[in-house]
Amino acid sequence: MIITTGVAYPLLVTAIGQTVLPSQSNGSQVILNGKVVGSELIAQSFDSPKFFHPRNSTDSGSGVDPDIAPDSAISQIHAISSVTGIPVNALKTLVDLDIARNKETNALVFAPDYVNVLNLNIELVKQYPEVYSQEISAKGGT
Amino acid sequence: MTYVEIVILLAVLVGSLGLAIIFGRYIARMIVYEKRPLEKTLGRVENGFYKIIGIDRYEQMTWKQYFLALIVTNVIAAGFLIVILIYQNSLPLSPKPGLSFDLAFHTAVSFVTNTDLQHYAGDQQLSIFSQMVGLIFMMFVAPASGISAAFAFIRGFIRKEFGLGNFYVDFTRIIITLLLPISFFSALLLLFLGAPQTLDSTITVGTLQGGSQTITIGPVAALESIKELGSNGGGFFGANSAHPFENPTGVSNVFECILMLVIPLSFPIAYAHLLGKGRGISILATMLIGFGVMLALGLSEQSGPVGLETRFGSFGSTLFLESSVASNTGAANASLSGMSPNAVIGFFLGMFVQAIPGADGTGMMMMIIFVILTLFLVGLMVGKTPEFMSMKINPKDVRLAAFVFLIHPALILIPSVIAYTTDNAQSILGEQTTPTTFTQVLYEYSSASANNGSDYLGTSANTPFWNWSTALVMLLGRYAPIGLMLSIAGSFTLRDRKEVVEPIKTSGFLFVGVLTVMVFILTALTFFPFLAMGPFSI
Repeated sequence: MIITTGVAYPLLVTAIGQTVLPSQSNGSQVILNGKVVGSELIAQSFDSPKFFHPRNSTDSGSGVDPDIAPDSAISQIHAISSVTGIPVNALKTLVDLDIARNKETNALVFAPDYVNVLNLNIELVKQYPEVYSQEISAKGGT
Repeated sequence: MTYVEIVILLAVLVGSLGLAIIFGRYIARMIVYEKRPLEKTLGRVENGFYKIIGIDRYEQMTWKQYFLALIVTNVIAAGFLIVILIYQNSLPLSPKPGLSFDLAFHTAVSFVTNTDLQHYAGDQQLSIFSQMVGLIFMMFVAPASGISAAFAFIRGFIRKEFGLGNFYVDFTRIIITLLLPISFFSALLLLFLGAPQTLDSTITVGTLQGGSQTITIGPVAALESIKELGSNGGGFFGANSAHPFENPTGVSNVFECILMLVIPLSFPIAYAHLLGKGRGISILATMLIGFGVMLALGLSEQSGPVGLETRFGSFGSTLFLESSVASNTGAANASLSGMSPNAVIGFFLGMFVQAIPGADGTGMMMMIIFVILTLFLVGLMVGKTPEFMSMKINPKDVRLAAFVFLIHPALILIPSVIAYTTDNAQSILGEQTTPTTFTQVLYEYSSASANNGSDYLGTSANTPFWNWSTALVMLLGRYAPIGLMLSIAGSFTLRDRKEVVEPIKTSGFLFVGVLTVMVFILTALTFFPFLAMGPFSI
């Protein structure tokens, strides 16, 4: 029984996962310009005022909640716009796109609307590379 | 409720009931050894296991032998887990320092009793080997033991001298042909939805701002599926199902709710197949009414947002937690301290009753105990000799059933008082005793005694007093009722059945109404004063 349930079962799931669904199996890592920049399921801290910020870790159930409510994202838009010069409307559109994308992940109805902070920030960097060139190369990422 | 919330609720109810109808039929076949789909192949695999363990599959057990076999199997498994946890530093796969003896004992008891109260944080304190070979293995043993006991219990009522079965045969069949296949497919689905599955213990990734981040990871999907299906509830991570790797999206949240509810709800369906359609459906209805009350309490008040995950919100967190506590799984997708007082009252209700629908196997047994108590009380009221399944209920059955019912409050209230009088409650919760801290202590022992496993205290309760006291409560809360219930079944199986009209019908609207009221009155009378001091005063 130990061998069947404790060894064979998890190893079989691992083997299938690593072969068929390698991205999920290894923690849903996201890649930008060929570099891994985090896991889309785990919050990471942003100290630059040019980025959207996640919740404080003590505010959520997990401490690593990667998402914020739409209101919280919208309330950050003005500050980000004034630091980066990106128009408020453009930021609003990116937030809406991210909400729409998350809705798809949740088969439209299975979760409330929310914004994934890392994905949104990656989108910002993709759309406005010149604005963020300093931030993403500052510490020479791995 | 918004229409989106109604869709989510319907998905959970329709999903779990729909699957329960399929699995209920299958479980009924397992109980009476009827032909199942793929019988030949399954039979061959099972025979292989019987040969390895050296058991005679035709040997029938008395209730005492059955109970003893269950205890022996559980003791061996718990001993094995204690050794793994203490010596995990010298075992392979990302070794971590071994646990102290009291914490290892507490954890082994907690997992073997199907409780999964955790006084440790899995992601920080356990190696991948301990999580996999230790905990995943135990997460099959615990529900298989509970389901086996329920099989024997139900067999006691089927027909005279049908026999209670053979524990080793039931245990093997339940793991190999019920739990393992469902967990396997559920693990793949969870994997697809985003739960990781790897033997690495951490990954280090760059961050967008060019820093680096170390993320704890592991064979999460395989653990998560049996954690929910087996009414276990012990998380890979300290944050349990709130952690995005255990429960990545709203879809996984709904799926995990279904997994937690499906086996407990399958039992009344199996009962309907074996002992009368009306009777089974009446029990199912009573369970669903009880669960409905818990849900209504939880949804009557907004929870969070502090302590909750954004992707679940108040509704998704409440639905998950009420399902989890109702099924005595004890998994949590939010911090309990973020939940509204009404939601917490719902949790207490679920843990006090233990049968709406309760854990895998034992929930059904507990509900039948309520049926026997109800028949006795109603029999007194109308002046008829109570009968169950055309058999007289004698004074000894009622005494044993009342014992089963009374063990629970004794195991909750006495240790709670001891924790306060010995200052052990104050030492972890502060000198000032408030309704909030009293609720947390009451919750800890309710959770331990109901073999639920959700808690407020977590790693802060990793002290010798809390480890030993809750371990003792979990052991008594698990094995004393199972022993008493098996002895009831053992005496019923020898009794004569008269095929006459039941003096008090055990099906239909009236019976559902009476049973529901009895369950609530018995529970309320027992626990009301303590709820008044705790969650009612918050």
